[in-house]
Amino acid sequence: MHFIVSSSVLLKNLQLVGGIISSNVILPILEDFLFDLDNQTLTLTGSDLETMIKVKLEVQVDGDAGQNKGRICVPSKILLEYLKNLPEQPVKFNINTQDQTLEISSNTGKYKIGGQKADEYPKEPVADDTGSVTIPSKVLQDAIASTIYATSTDTLRPAMTGVYFELGQDQTTFVATDAQRLVKLTRNDVKSGFERGFIVPRKPLQQLKNIIPSDDTALEILFNNSHLFVKNEKLSLSCRLIDAKFPPYKSVIPQENPFFLIINRADLISCLRRVSIFASKGSSQVVFSIVGNTVNISAQDADFSYEGKEELTCQYQGEDMKIAFNGKLLIEMLSNLVSEEVKLELSTPSRAGIYRPVNGDPNEDLLQLLMPLIVGV
Amino acid sequence: MERTIVHCDLDTFFVSVERLLNSDLVGKPVLIGGSSDRGVVASCSYEARKFGVHSAMPMRLARQLCPEAILVRGDHDLYSKYSNIVTEIIEEKIPIVEKASIDEHYLDMSGMDKFFGTWKLTQELRQRIIKETGLPISFGLSTNKTVSKIATGEAKPCGERKVDGGTEKPFLAPLSIRKIPGIGDKTYPLLRNMGISHIYTLQQMNVFTMKQVLGENGVSIWNKANGIDKSAVVPFHQQKSMSKEHTFEQDTIDMELLRRIMLSMVDELAFDLRKDGRLTSCVTVKIRYSNFDTHTTQAKLAFTSSERTISEKVLQLFHKLYSKRMLIRLIGVKFSNLIAGSYQADLFDDTLEDINLSKAMDKIRMRYGHHSVVRGFALLNP
Repeated sequence: MHFIVSSSVLLKNLQLVGGIISSNVILPILEDFLFDLDNQTLTLTGSDLETMIKVKLEVQVDGDAGQNKGRICVPSKILLEYLKNLPEQPVKFNINTQDQTLEISSNTGKYKIGGQKADEYPKEPVADDTGSVTIPSKVLQDAIASTIYATSTDTLRPAMTGVYFELGQDQTTFVATDAQRLVKLTRNDVKSGFERGFIVPRKPLQQLKNIIPSDDTALEILFNNSHLFVKNEKLSLSCRLIDAKFPPYKSVIPQENPFFLIINRADLISCLRRVSIFASKGSSQVVFSIVGNTVNISAQDADFSYEGKEELTCQYQGEDMKIAFNGKLLIEMLSNLVSEEVKLELSTPSRAGIYRPVNGDPNEDLLQLLMPLIVGV
Repeated sequence: MERTIVHCDLDTFFVSVERLLNSDLVGKPVLIGGSSDRGVVASCSYEARKFGVHSAMPMRLARQLCPEAILVRGDHDLYSKYSNIVTEIIEEKIPIVEKASIDEHYLDMSGMDKFFGTWKLTQELRQRIIKETGLPISFGLSTNKTVSKIATGEAKPCGERKVDGGTEKPFLAPLSIRKIPGIGDKTYPLLRNMGISHIYTLQQMNVFTMKQVLGENGVSIWNKANGIDKSAVVPFHQQKSMSKEHTFEQDTIDMELLRRIMLSMVDELAFDLRKDGRLTSCVTVKIRYSNFDTHTTQAKLAFTSSERTISEKVLQLFHKLYSKRMLIRLIGVKFSNLIAGSYQADLFDDTLEDINLSKAMDKIRMRYGHHSVVRGFALLNP
């Protein structure tokens, strides 16, 4: 079998699939791309056993229709490297499934890569017994972007190493937490008509975020008890879900934080970036002292006698307070908000602070929660 | 440039302080330390040393060797107070002072010999300390810390010793290898078995042989034996670890008792962490069995000062370590890898009640001391 394709189009598509291929694999065949040609449709597949990404593209074939069918596994590294160094041009691929080789002919010459039998490539999980919901691509992309950074890397708490998708009658909620912070994003415009929840691991979400288009085209999300499938007409991703119970996040979000502070987000971030340089590296502790309508942000590292202090004006309603946060986590959270001003809701120095965007998208409700540092006696 | 380093050591410091307060003790054998069967001698007078008593010896043995000795319980706060007075006097005169322990100081006097000579300055300083505090003190003056420290040992009791630059090797040569700091109960027998008893022999040896036998430590011992020590006098030492140990009156395998003791040690140490605004990321558990076999194990954890997180880890480590089915004599917990910072509250594991309780307990302890309030499990006889 053989086909002709533009080198840059193929490279772009291989890169979509290639993100999931890790450099140290359990099975040698996982270093490969699976090429599956069915006449004019070429399907490329990449997998790390947990996650499988497929992408379809149109290629040119000459000769008899119906004859050009076949599958082969091709080592990913050498192929990508080659295509990166090839100027844009049509390239002819000749696949010999008898001795498992791939021959590439371009304007500059001929190249040969030894492949492996396609039968040994992992199978895609079967999508049976699934529920489904459709969601605009951009909405999912944004939801992943605004939650994924808060997932935990602690393998002792597997439920927290992914983002919790909570589908509901009237809304869909995405939650991520690492027990120090929690991000909850509720979309009122994504409805599924039933109530289900599942946890998607971090790695496939990271890939998904990178490969889906940033537009309003619909994505179909299918899921059963063990797997998630995300599809549009060109792309599909399937991955194993985390088999664990997500912690009871609703009960730990304080319902009534009586005091609130409104402050310019960009000013706060740049202030934190400067001040936290002077904080102790291990704890990155930054102290907010709020008095009237000014907030005094300070940090120190007693081990080296470093000290930093800044003052910002804000709108504050509540009692004067001193509360400490991890500056590094706070900067990361605030950088993932997209509003000019941010509202911080507080109650006592030992309770969580809640950050919300001011005048955000009416279709979404974003809540970021950060546990304080308990400053000693 | 040749440096001038002085090491000073207060002679039988604890005994000397007790004698200041009670002149009846002067000229008599005195032992300081816990009086129980398991206690050890923290310090003893020269009169007691004649009987073969030395510090760190079990008190029971010391009393057998010297039954007429007067036993004093000891008061660490009092000793700290006197130690600080001595430090103050030294710091008044000398710019770079390292307080190596409660009764030892290193002084960097390099370049201070311009007008009076360092030897004279040191003698005057020593006389001043003796006059103002009434405590006997010995000095050793040389070109680096190791030689100065050994010189102080030679100057004792209550004397002075000077080792000029260039004469370090001949000074060290006739001394026992025991005098080198860093040669202790492990290395000493090893070197003796090799037929080395005096520093002279070490000086004649090849440094590569030492490296083969003792690794990097061998190189450092060889350097010290040759009077080479480049380490600087560091004015301030950041505390690197904090630890607690408990020796049982009677060896035990009472798991419940062990658990309670460990938890209350963690409780106290965690309070110390919070009091100093510090966090730990490495905990060590130590077990000494009744046959004195000592085992330790350690584990890393995320920076924390919460007794809940730490005690979980400590118990885990203990169960991993305790495998011998033998009676336990001593148990210890150590926190190391300390940094400044405050505890990051956990969203799911820390309830507001827990945090408030812990804060309230810390407040009471700050005011009324460590043992004024404890958790129920820590009560040994509930």
